[in-house]
Amino acid sequence: MPIINFILNGIHKEFLIKQQDTLAAVLRNEAGLTGTKIGCEQGSCGACTVWINGAAVVSCITPAMRAKDASVTTIEALSDKGELHKLQKKFVDKGAIQCGFCTPGMVMTALEFIEKHPSPSIEQIKESLSGNLCRCTGYSKIIEAVAEYAQERNGAKRETPVKTDAHSQMVGGRHPYIEAERKVRGLADYADDIIIKNALHCKFVRSTHPHARIENIDIYAASHLEGVRYIAIGKELPVTFGVLPISQDETAMAIEKTRYSGEIVAAVAAESEEIASNACKLIKVKYTPYKSYLTVDDSLNDIGGNEKIHRHTKFNNNIHKKAELRFGDQKQGIKESDITTVMDFEFEGINHGFTEPHSATAYWDENGLTLITATQVTHYVHRALAKVMQVPLNRVRVIKPYIGGGFGGKSDPFAHEIIISHLARKTGRPVHVRLSREEVFLTNHGRHPSRMKISMGASTDGTLKALDADIAIDGGAYGSFGVVTSYYNGVLLQAPYKLNNFGFRTYRVYTNKPQCGAMRGHGAVNSRFAVESVIDDIAHKLGKDPVELRMQNFLPSDTMTVGQYRITSNGSRESLQRVAEQSGWKKKFGKLKFGRGIGVGCGFFISGSALPIIWNELPQSTVHLKLDFDGRVLITSGANDIGQGSDTMLAIIVAEVLGISMEKIFVLAADTLLTPVDLGSYSSRVTFMAGNAAKSAAEKLKNEILQRVSAKTGVSVEELYIAGERICSNDMKVDLSWIEAIDMVTAKRGAISVSGWYVSPKLGGDFKGAGAGLSPSYSFGACAAEVTVDTETGKVELIDVWGAHDCGKAINPLAVEGQLQGSWHMGLGQAMSEQMKYYEGLLLNNNFLDYKIPTSLDTPDIHTNIIETIDPEGPFGAKECGEGALHPILPAISNAIFNAVGVRITKLPIKPEDVLNGLKQNVNSKQTQTA
Amino acid sequence: MASTDTYLMPATLADALKLADEYGGNCRIIAGGTDVMPNRFQGNDTAPYLIDISRLNELRKLEKKDSSIVIGSLTTLEEVSNNAEILKYFPALAEAANSAATPVIRKSATLGGNLLCENRCIFYNQSEWWREAVGYCLKCNGDICIASGGNKRCFSKFVSDTAAALISMDAYAEIITHEGPSNLKLEDLYTGDGIQPRNIKAGTVIKAIHLPINNSSRTVFKKLRLRKSLDFTSLSTSVTLKSDSLLKIVLCGVDPGPVVLNKRADDNKDDIIATALKKSRIVDNDVFSRGYRREMIRVFLRRSFTELGILK
Repeated sequence: MPIINFILNGIHKEFLIKQQDTLAAVLRNEAGLTGTKIGCEQGSCGACTVWINGAAVVSCITPAMRAKDASVTTIEALSDKGELHKLQKKFVDKGAIQCGFCTPGMVMTALEFIEKHPSPSIEQIKESLSGNLCRCTGYSKIIEAVAEYAQERNGAKRETPVKTDAHSQMVGGRHPYIEAERKVRGLADYADDIIIKNALHCKFVRSTHPHARIENIDIYAASHLEGVRYIAIGKELPVTFGVLPISQDETAMAIEKTRYSGEIVAAVAAESEEIASNACKLIKVKYTPYKSYLTVDDSLNDIGGNEKIHRHTKFNNNIHKKAELRFGDQKQGIKESDITTVMDFEFEGINHGFTEPHSATAYWDENGLTLITATQVTHYVHRALAKVMQVPLNRVRVIKPYIGGGFGGKSDPFAHEIIISHLARKTGRPVHVRLSREEVFLTNHGRHPSRMKISMGASTDGTLKALDADIAIDGGAYGSFGVVTSYYNGVLLQAPYKLNNFGFRTYRVYTNKPQCGAMRGHGAVNSRFAVESVIDDIAHKLGKDPVELRMQNFLPSDTMTVGQYRITSNGSRESLQRVAEQSGWKKKFGKLKFGRGIGVGCGFFISGSALPIIWNELPQSTVHLKLDFDGRVLITSGANDIGQGSDTMLAIIVAEVLGISMEKIFVLAADTLLTPVDLGSYSSRVTFMAGNAAKSAAEKLKNEILQRVSAKTGVSVEELYIAGERICSNDMKVDLSWIEAIDMVTAKRGAISVSGWYVSPKLGGDFKGAGAGLSPSYSFGACAAEVTVDTETGKVELIDVWGAHDCGKAINPLAVEGQLQGSWHMGLGQAMSEQMKYYEGLLLNNNFLDYKIPTSLDTPDIHTNIIETIDPEGPFGAKECGEGALHPILPAISNAIFNAVGVRITKLPIKPEDVLNGLKQNVNSKQTQTA
Repeated sequence: MASTDTYLMPATLADALKLADEYGGNCRIIAGGTDVMPNRFQGNDTAPYLIDISRLNELRKLEKKDSSIVIGSLTTLEEVSNNAEILKYFPALAEAANSAATPVIRKSATLGGNLLCENRCIFYNQSEWWREAVGYCLKCNGDICIASGGNKRCFSKFVSDTAAALISMDAYAEIITHEGPSNLKLEDLYTGDGIQPRNIKAGTVIKAIHLPINNSSRTVFKKLRLRKSLDFTSLSTSVTLKSDSLLKIVLCGVDPGPVVLNKRADDNKDDIIATALKKSRIVDNDVFSRGYRREMIRVFLRRSFTELGILK
C-alpha cells in the first residue's frame, strides 16, 4: 500500500491508500470529507465533483494516485472562516437546494466554471452543469443562483438578501430550507456518511435467474475467507413483510426460489466492503430455472402446469389484484355520446432516480435495534422491523438522517434494511450497507409499466358523457404498494372533470422482474396521460379548442365527484387559465406552422391519503412542541424531510402561530425513539397532515403562554397577543419580550410540552373500494408545452413549458416553486427519455448513463405559477404540491406534438422513431385518401 | 478493481514505454481515465498494471507546424473544443470533441483516450453479476453475440466522436512503442473487430495527432443521441468535402470500427448512402433501434451533403 502526499483543502496531507482506490473513496473514507457524494460510481452524475489543481474532476472515476503531489479542493474548503462562499449563499437564498445530495458537486462544477467564464450566458451555464444530475429541482433555481452569482461578481447590485428575522413574513414568505447551509457546506450527513464505530460491511449475492428454484447455496469457501464475519441466507429470515398489510408477500432474501434477476439470495457481513464482495463471489448458488413470466400477457394467461410466481394468488395465472369500480352506466353513456374515442396506450416502467443510493447502518444495544436508514417512512420501517426481527415495537428505533431524494422510492421497508439488522444481531457488531446504482435499480419500486384502453364519449356541445378505462399494470415480483396503485390508476380519473358515467378495471400482475411500487404522482400519471390525450382527440374531432373543452367540463369547488370524493378548494380553472394566458395559447393554437405546436394537459391528485395504510386509530400525524427556559421551541415530528422541505414547513407554521422568528425554533424529525408518529412522506400528505398537527400544537402552546402571562399580569387572555417576538396587551400595559414572557411561563414549572395532531375527517361512500383515493383535499393543475418536431428525424424539441398548480396556499413559495419545477422535470423525463429496459428479465439500463434522466440542457425553461385557493381544512389553506403537478406535463407535451405534426402519441417515452412512423403513416393515409 | 492492482506513474515517456513493454497484455495505459475507470468498475478491464501517462508533458503540446496542426494525445477534449487554432481550421473537430460525455469529463478525458476508447454494447457494459446472469457475450469470453441474437461475431459499437471527425479530415496518428515511433493513417488504427477493435499492440501510446491544414476543405459533423449531454453516440457522421472535390465520409457508433467511405462530390448521393448503410453493421445494442439508426444515416448524410452544397 503506497503512501501519497497531496495538499487537501490547503493542508499537506499524507494517506496510506490502496493503489486501486478512487479519489472519492480516499476523500470520504480516509480524509472523512463526506461532502463529496457517491451517486453512480461511473462518472455520470457529478455528485462527487472536486478540484485537482483547480480543475473539476469526477472523483469517483479518478484514481487517487492522480492526486499525488497535487492540490485537491473539496466542498468543505469553500467557506471562509465560517462564512459561506458567495455562490454557496446564492444556492441557499435561491432555493437551489432540495435534497442537497447533488449540491456539493453542483457547486464545485459551477464555481470552477464561473472562475474561468466570468460572464456566461444562461445557455452556457446550462451547458456547464450538464454533467451534474439533479433530480429534485429541475435545475431552474440552480441556474438562477449561478447566473446571479456571476452577475454580482461582475459588479451587479446585490439583491436584498432573504430575511428570516422576526419581522419578515412567516407563512407565505420565501424561506430557504433551515438545513440548507449545512447541505451546501457538505456537512449534512446522509446515511452513507454516518460512520458507526467498528461497523462491518454488507454485500449481497443476487439471483442470476428471473424465476428459479434454489437447489443449493454453497458458502463454504466464502465463510473461510479472512475477515468474513457472517453469511446469511433466506431461511434465517422467514417472516414475510410488505408495506401494505394485504401484501405481505416478500421475505428479506429468497427462500427456496427466486422471483427476479437481482433478488438477494445471500448476504455477507465482513470487515471491509472488498472482503464482503470477494466473499460474495465465492458463494455458489445452484438454480433450476422455472418458466419465467416477463410480460403482462404472460401473467394474465393461464399458466398450465408451470410454477406460479406466488402460490397464494387465486387463479392459475399470475394476477395479483383486480380492482374495479363503476359509477353510472359507462356503456349507456358512450351510446348516448355524439362522438367517442377509444384509444390504446402503453407505458414503460420508470425509476425514481434519486441521486443518493439506498444506504443504512444497523446495530443492537441495550435499547434493542437501531437502524439509521435513507427512508421516507420511518414509521412503516419501524413496524416491519419489529415484525420480521420478532421483537416488540418498543425495541426498535429507526432514524432518518438527511435523505438524497425519495420520490416514492424510499417509501417501503426494504430487504437490505432487514438483512443488516439480522447481520448486526448475529455478529454483535454494527453493520453498514450502501447499494450500488445497479442495485438501486434492481430494488426499484418505481412506476409500473402499464397499458390501457380508454373509451370516452362526449356530446357535440363538448360535454363529457362517459369514461371507461381498462388497465393492466405490471407489478414485478412483489406487491409493494401495488394494490393501491391498481386503484389509483382508475379512481383518480374521476376528477377534475365532471363525469356521471365513470368506471375502470385494473389488473395488476406479478412478473419476474424487480417490483414496482409508488412513484411521484402515484398510480395516476399514466392513466392521466391517456385521458388527457383522449380529451385532446375529442376536442380535435369536435373542432373545439382543447382549453375551452376542458374549461367547460371542470368540476366546480365544493362538490362531490361521482365516486363520492369530497372536492373542496379547486383551482383547475385558474390553473388552466393562467397557462393559457401565459403561453399565448390563443395566438398559437392552430396558428403555428407545421412542425411547431402547443398543447395542454390538466391534473388532479390527492393531498394525503385520508386512510392510514395500517388500520388503527392513531392520528395520521402528531407533533410535539417543547418550550424551555431559553426561549427555544423544539418541534418533534415523525415527518420525513426527504428534501421537499417539510422540516422548514413545520418551523414556519409554528413560528407563524407563535409570532416568533425561525431562529427560536429547532426541528427534530423522523426518529422513532424521540418523535411521535407521523405516517411518513408518501401520498403528498405531509404539509396537510403534519402541518395541521404542528399548527394545532402551536395554537395550544400559544394558549398556554397567554394563560400564564395573563395569570401573572392580571390582563385577560383576550387582551393579549404575540407578534414580533413580543407579548403585548392591546393597551401596551403588558409589553414583554419573548424571553421575559418565557421566564414568566416557565417559572416554578420548567419546560412546557404540548401535543397537536391531525385526524382526517370521515369521508367517502360505503361501497367496497370507496376508500381508495380518499383525501381531505385535492390538488389541481395544468401545463402547456410548446414543441418543435423535426419531420425527418422525429426528434421533439421542448421549446417552452408553462405550469400552474393549485397548492391551496404556498406556506413557503420558494419551496413550492422548487417542488413544482422538480415535478415537471421528472414528468418530462418520463415523457421524453426515461424507461426501464429489460432483456429476458435483466435490466439493461441500470446506470445513470443508460437510464436517461434529462440533464440541464434537456430541460426547457419552466414558467412557474402558484395558484392559491385557500383550502378550508389545510394549514393556512395549504395542500399538496409535490406530486400532482407532475401529471399535466406529460400530456401537454404529447398534445403539443399532435398539434405540431398530427401524430398522436400513445406510448411513453416518446421515441423519435415512433413520431417518425406516425408521420409516415399520416403521409400514407393522405395518399390513400387522395388516390 | 482486483486487489493485485499496481498503479505506475513513470516520469518519462521512455519509462512508460519500457514498463508497457515489460507488462504487455497485463497493463493498461491510463490517461484521463474516464473510459478506463468505469470499465474497471464494471469488471470489464482487469489488467493488473495501470501505467499512468497523464503527467508526461511530451504528450501535451498543441501547435501549428508547417501546414498541419499537431495535437498531443494528452490534450483534453475541453482543450480541443476551445483551442483557437482548431476552432479556426477544424471547427467540426471542436464540435465533435465538445459533443463527447459531459463538461466535467471533458476536462479529464484526452483526445488520445477518446480515440482509443473501448467499444461499447449494452450487453457488455454491465457489471460482472449482470454479464454472468445473461451468459457472457463474445466480448467477455462468451460464445455468442447476444445483441445480434447469437452471431459468432462481436458487433460492439465504436463510439469515438473525435475519430469520426479526424478520420474524415485525413488525420494521422503518431504512435510510439518501446521499439520506436511510427505513423499511421488514423483509420488504420482500427480493425473493425468488436473484440479487438484496435490495430496496435498493448502498450502502444499515441503521441500526437497530425492534421493537415487544407483551407478549402470543409467538414460537417453530426451526432445522434437522446440527451444533449452525457450520452455516447448512437451515430456520429463526419463528412469532409475537400478542395479536389473528394468526399470523405466517416460514420461512428454504427459498427465495430469507423465506417469510412472515400467518394467524389459528384457521385450519386443515394448510391453513397446505400454503400454507407451496407458497410454499417448495426445491431440492436443501443437506445435507438437498428432500423432508426439506419434511417438516421440516410438523414444525417443527406443533411451533411446539403450543408456542404453538394445536394439540393
